[in-house]
Amino acid sequence: MSVLTEPRAGKAAKSWNTASSAPAALRVPVDPNRGRKRMLWVSAAAVIVALHVLAFAGTDFDPALLVDGWQGMARFISDAFPPNLDWETVIKPGLDATLVTLWIGLLGTTLSIPSALVLAVLASRTTTPHPAAYQVSRSILSFFRAVPDIVFALIFVTAVGLGPFAGVLALICHNTGVMGKLWAESMEETDQGPQQALSTAGASKLQQIAHGSLPLVIPQFVGLLLYRFDVNVRSSLVLGLVGAGGIGLLINQAIKSFQFDTMLTHIIIVLVLIIIVDQASGFIRRKLAV
Amino acid sequence: MQQAALSVSSLAKSYNGRTVLDDVDFQVHRGELVAFLGANGSGKSTTLKCVAGLAEPDAGRIELDGQQLAGLSGRQLALARSTAAMVFQKIHLVPRRTALDNVCAGGLARVSGLASVSPMFFSRQLREEAMACLDRVGLADRALEKVGRLSGGQQQRVAIARALCQRAAVLLADEPVSALDPNAAEHVMALLAELAHEENLAVAAVLHQPELAIRHADRAIGLLHGSIAFNAPVAELNEKILHTLYSPERNAA
Ligand SMILES: Nc1ncnc2c1ncn2[C@@H]1O[C@H](COP(=O)(O)OP(=O)(O)O)[C@@H](O)[C@H]1O
Ligand SMILES: [Mg+2]
Repeated sequence: MSVLTEPRAGKAAKSWNTASSAPAALRVPVDPNRGRKRMLWVSAAAVIVALHVLAFAGTDFDPALLVDGWQGMARFISDAFPPNLDWETVIKPGLDATLVTLWIGLLGTTLSIPSALVLAVLASRTTTPHPAAYQVSRSILSFFRAVPDIVFALIFVTAVGLGPFAGVLALICHNTGVMGKLWAESMEETDQGPQQALSTAGASKLQQIAHGSLPLVIPQFVGLLLYRFDVNVRSSLVLGLVGAGGIGLLINQAIKSFQFDTMLTHIIIVLVLIIIVDQASGFIRRKLAV
Repeated sequence: MQQAALSVSSLAKSYNGRTVLDDVDFQVHRGELVAFLGANGSGKSTTLKCVAGLAEPDAGRIELDGQQLAGLSGRQLALARSTAAMVFQKIHLVPRRTALDNVCAGGLARVSGLASVSPMFFSRQLREEAMACLDRVGLADRALEKVGRLSGGQQQRVAIARALCQRAAVLLADEPVSALDPNAAEHVMALLAELAHEENLAVAAVLHQPELAIRHADRAIGLLHGSIAFNAPVAELNEKILHTLYSPERNAA
């Protein structure tokens, strides 16, 4: 109380007491850490600049090369026009292969739901039954996430041969890692109250999760699932390039045989597919959010 | 008098070396509503949490309906503990599920098989029991509505119905009406008193407002710095006692 009636800052007190119309002003205290904060900013900026210098050197980054070589690109593009719109030899096989790409993305996503769900429950601090289960499942998820789907595809091609099946297997593995991690994180962020309430009611751990935790995160889970479906359809294109079937395979063949006009048609079909998938999953996610 | 439904003796608890509960003894009998009063941090929530198993006491005995909890473990402990149901300030229902499904979840300890995983498989018997519980709190007509669409007071009553579906003898309520408007708070307190007096439950409720205790409770227990400073019928509460329980200089300690 006495602090308010006996102001210590002399100057501020004076301007406060004068009956002038100017608003009262109080000197802003000097941040004692100002010098250190400034040093921190400067050194952070220096580190970032140094990293970029190294990165430019390491990637042979040279815009001059791009300027010199523009004719090559122009020839490539002009060869691609007009796109080859022959129904029997180009569009129909393109559409069929695009459908295969879509199926690879779909199965790669849905068939990874069980494994991702189990690992997510084990790898979320709020639902894991044991710290050891938490560590083990985290490691499994990290492994599946760290190995790119294209590496999985190359491995599975050696086992089941070239074709879309290898692509599906590859996506299941990689997507389990990514989706499991995303789901575990969204599980950790949700309210633990209902789960706790059920634990006091004598519910088992499984019952607590099924009736207290999972129903809270279903909208987030479905949103992440749709997002992963979107990503997986695009990944399955790239998988086609290494022999896992679908439209990627056709694009690769067209480039290797210099049929750039055929390639362009395939790319346009892919573009349409990706726009449709993107719009559809965005639409459903928006519907879920409300 | 009959055996206490909840009997706590010499309960002690500390967090990081700081004593939060010190030698707490009390009983709650069937048929009475006991209000827990005390300043913030006096240990009211911790007391209820120790009974419900949400906090691990350092020492003390807890008896529920005559059964000692010490010595039990795992599933047996969980089942013995389910003799006491807990109601929370933040309600802790699943908003996306119907009132009926939420109430059914109170009976999960009696459920096995697929119903453990999804409400789709709840038995007809469980649903009918849950309907009766909803009817007891006056919400049978809202059974199929999503809980998120109900008002705060209605949600708290659904949570109480869930506790009833647990077939608990003891109802623990931690600030059940602190988040509700005065009207809804009055309604919920009246319901808790009714459950004590008409359904013969033992009800222990942490209350933020002494007036609510005086109006609805039979007995009050006052906690001060983790010890019981008052334990008597609410009629004996007076200004002096309330001042001691809530006085600011003591809380500053
Ligand atoms: N999980 C916890 N970890 C550390 N300290 C806690 C924890 N829970 C409660 N406390 C402390 O214990 C004391 C009593 O808390 P609580 O029982 O919640 O009081 P009340 O419900 O009476 O307000 C408080 O000082 C609080 O900070
Ligand atoms: Mg509290």
